[in-house]
Amino acid sequence: MRAAARAVGAAGLAAFALLAFTPLVAALHGGRSHGGVLPRAAAIVVLGSGVMPEGELTDTSLRRTLHGIRLFRQGLAPRIILLGPEYHGAVEAEVRGRYAVDLGVPTDAIVVEPGGRSTRDEARLVFARLDRRRGAAILLVTGLHHMPRARRVFEREGMVVAAAPVLEDSLLPDRPQARLALARAVAQEAIARAYYRLAGAF
Amino acid sequence: MESYYLLLLFGLTSLALYFAGIRGLGLRPAALRPALGRLLECVGLAMVLAALNVGAGFLLVLALRRLTGSFVTLYLNTDVTLLALSALQAVALQWWMRAEER
Repeated sequence: MRAAARAVGAAGLAAFALLAFTPLVAALHGGRSHGGVLPRAAAIVVLGSGVMPEGELTDTSLRRTLHGIRLFRQGLAPRIILLGPEYHGAVEAEVRGRYAVDLGVPTDAIVVEPGGRSTRDEARLVFARLDRRRGAAILLVTGLHHMPRARRVFEREGMVVAAAPVLEDSLLPDRPQARLALARAVAQEAIARAYYRLAGAF
Repeated sequence: MESYYLLLLFGLTSLALYFAGIRGLGLRPAALRPALGRLLECVGLAMVLAALNVGAGFLLVLALRRLTGSFVTLYLNTDVTLLALSALQAVALQWWMRAEER
């Protein structure tokens, strides 16, 4: 058991050194932020990412919200669906809705959907908001790491998805702490993807 | 550049610690090798325990969802704090095993 623990420890320290002190994690990620032209769609769908107990959006939620609003203001869809459940008394979707109004999105173009607590829930709720119309085109706004899983879940639900990912962690981190944060995000999403596959979500 | 700075700092303080151990505390250089072996052992135990903790946490969350009918996020199990707690478990386990050997 000792020898095995030492071997695991050596492998773990080597992995830590490679992840923290080399650009390996950026190479492993392989993803890129979206730079292409997005098509017009029936709705812009902004997935939830958290709100603080004080009622302010988390950094990632704010990034996604602003990206969605920007796409709306570019005229890419007549509606923007803002998701995000209640955490500690604050409802993320409602906070996002207030941002959208303040930033000039007409009230009748905003759909606030606070019901979804997982990507799968969100896909079901959005599909219902789109009158369960199979083939409805959406612009999906979520984090770059989360996008492949989210896209598959929404497509499986019956929507046609154009990805409009948001960069939430730099893919070119130059500090060990930022590299480890990116590694954690990539590992977390890999686990979530494996779980969704096992659970038959796609 | 920041990466190399931290490695340089780590190298310098480790070297200082080495000499302080030999000259200040009277430690034998030959005893360092088994100490590093035990360090690897502790890191290995911590990694195994972390994996077990995450796995057990996933099962616990799924059970809580089923039993309570309310949503509990699986992301609770990917909190970095769990790594630190796993490391504490590893240290305690290692010391316990050593105490049994005496």
